[in-house]
Amino acid sequence: MSEVGSLSNGVNPVLLIAVPLGLAFAIPLFALFWKGAAKYIPPAALAFNLVVSVLLLPQVLEKPVIVSIGGWQPPFCINLVAGPVGVLFSAIIALVGLLVSIYALDYIKEGPTEKYHMLYLLLLTGATGVVLTGDIFNLFVFFEILCISSYALVAYLRDKAGIESAVKYLIQGAVGSSLLLIGIGLLYGQFGTLNMADIAEKIASASPISLFVPMVLLITGLGVEAAIFPLNAWLPDAHSSAPSSISAILSGIAIEVGLYAVARVIFTIFGASSILLFLALLGIVTLLIGEMCAFSQNNIKRMLAYSSIGQIGLILFALAIATSYGVTGGLFQLVSHTLAKALLFLAAGYMIYQTGSLQISALEGMGKKMPLTCLAFTIGAFSLVGLPPFIGFPSKFLVVRAALATKETYFIVLICLALLCTVIEGAYFFRVVQVLYFKGGKTNPGPKEAPVTALIPMFIFVVLIVVVGIYPKLVTDVLKSAASELLSRTEYIKAVLGSIL
Amino acid sequence: MSFLNSYIYYIGAFGLILVGLYIILVKHNLIKVIVGLGILDTGVNLFLISVGYITKGTAPIFSRPGINSEHMVDPVPQALVLTAIVIGVAVLALALSLAIRLYQHYGTLNLRKIREQKW
Repeated sequence: MSEVGSLSNGVNPVLLIAVPLGLAFAIPLFALFWKGAAKYIPPAALAFNLVVSVLLLPQVLEKPVIVSIGGWQPPFCINLVAGPVGVLFSAIIALVGLLVSIYALDYIKEGPTEKYHMLYLLLLTGATGVVLTGDIFNLFVFFEILCISSYALVAYLRDKAGIESAVKYLIQGAVGSSLLLIGIGLLYGQFGTLNMADIAEKIASASPISLFVPMVLLITGLGVEAAIFPLNAWLPDAHSSAPSSISAILSGIAIEVGLYAVARVIFTIFGASSILLFLALLGIVTLLIGEMCAFSQNNIKRMLAYSSIGQIGLILFALAIATSYGVTGGLFQLVSHTLAKALLFLAAGYMIYQTGSLQISALEGMGKKMPLTCLAFTIGAFSLVGLPPFIGFPSKFLVVRAALATKETYFIVLICLALLCTVIEGAYFFRVVQVLYFKGGKTNPGPKEAPVTALIPMFIFVVLIVVVGIYPKLVTDVLKSAASELLSRTEYIKAVLGSIL
Repeated sequence: MSFLNSYIYYIGAFGLILVGLYIILVKHNLIKVIVGLGILDTGVNLFLISVGYITKGTAPIFSRPGINSEHMVDPVPQALVLTAIVIGVAVLALALSLAIRLYQHYGTLNLRKIREQKW
């Protein structure tokens, strides 16, 4: 392995992929000797990833770390690009993954648990690989690792709903990946390279009409996983039938990684500005559909799943503004959605476990029986709606400000629609909160509080949501440099290919 | 005819892709849909191979002196196809195992009859 760039001090980003991948496949071996060992490996691997990402962060804010694998220089090798975007995402993936894996220590009791933990770690390895890689085919491979392990995890409970949703998800996901691969093949046929920076550099010389087909194929293929509007039929089923810890990861990480890949393709590879207005419209349509469907749900997990579709739409809209403010706001909204939605699914998981029902009406009076879990749920819901002092407020504020700052009627009309959706969002979340606290006075001794292993991750999520909500400055610097990495293609190309140009 | 000669692989690849997509969209039986996924995969793989293929090309190995690199086929798409085949096999295997479970639950593989989840 040869290292290019400033890697003299500090850690190697390859570890972010190699360590969890190796440990994931070691889990069945550990389980041979001691069956209980399996569940402690994902938290250990993800804690390691979190530490490495945090150590890398100050270094990559100055200069992206480029790692070439196999002793060749880019563009002839598979390379990792640990820029601000990549390391920010890998830190979020590791953080959320770590907290959810702590939650799963007690939550996952039935079934072949060692397989659950192995697939879980593989899913997060795939997600980390997607955000760090600089090679478009490697992106496809990691994307498939993410997808295949999530198909299997959706079906983990082996119940009717889980199997049916997994089949739906698998068919749509497989068609999406095939389209993605055709797009990659077309790009390779035109440019003879798979390195994203190299493609981006050569793309200026190609005729726009020959770029249109690969671009559409790539966006469609990745859009299936990112759940952009016409491609999101699998999401509410898959997210609501999976075990709650997996729903948290799918809603909090998998679709965000898909969205990252869409943004990378649009901004870095194609530098396509003409398609942005269309994507902004698509984002708002996704938002409207998601929120309206969420409003009409009686099943709490389906409601949360539809709300994820809505949030993805808002993030896509913010990214499509394509100004520095817009992309910063989009990434901020992405972070806030990840934290809040993971918290909501985790809290809902134990409420469903204790009541044995997915219906919202079954949660009456839970505020008295499970006060801490319900408090966590309420904070997550308030943050998602965008109430201060939670993280959802500064992130939504930034998106609105970015849309207004464009001074274009198009974006201003769309952001008005987005704010209308926030009202719908508020309506259905407050309805759940009302059911939790103000309905049903029955004092039958039934549900108990969630166990400590579930309360600790929820508590950490709540602390993060409140602290970042009060001091958004903690993350905005990182988000700003991440946004500038996404927006400035020439910088990215120079960072990767600088050694040979 | 020269058009057909130079583009025959692309025509075949996209033909397979379209056949696969048609089966996935139209057929009701899950096994047939999975077969469609397999055909779609094959079409994509054939397309990737034909991107780097040269008629009467040789393997890209400098084994003997006097081999001209201009007549070598591009090895990169072949490496890609190897990976894509492995991924396709994994997806198909998972799909078939899910099909077994689905049949155990519902007693049918007709996707039009399996409609517990809806909007």
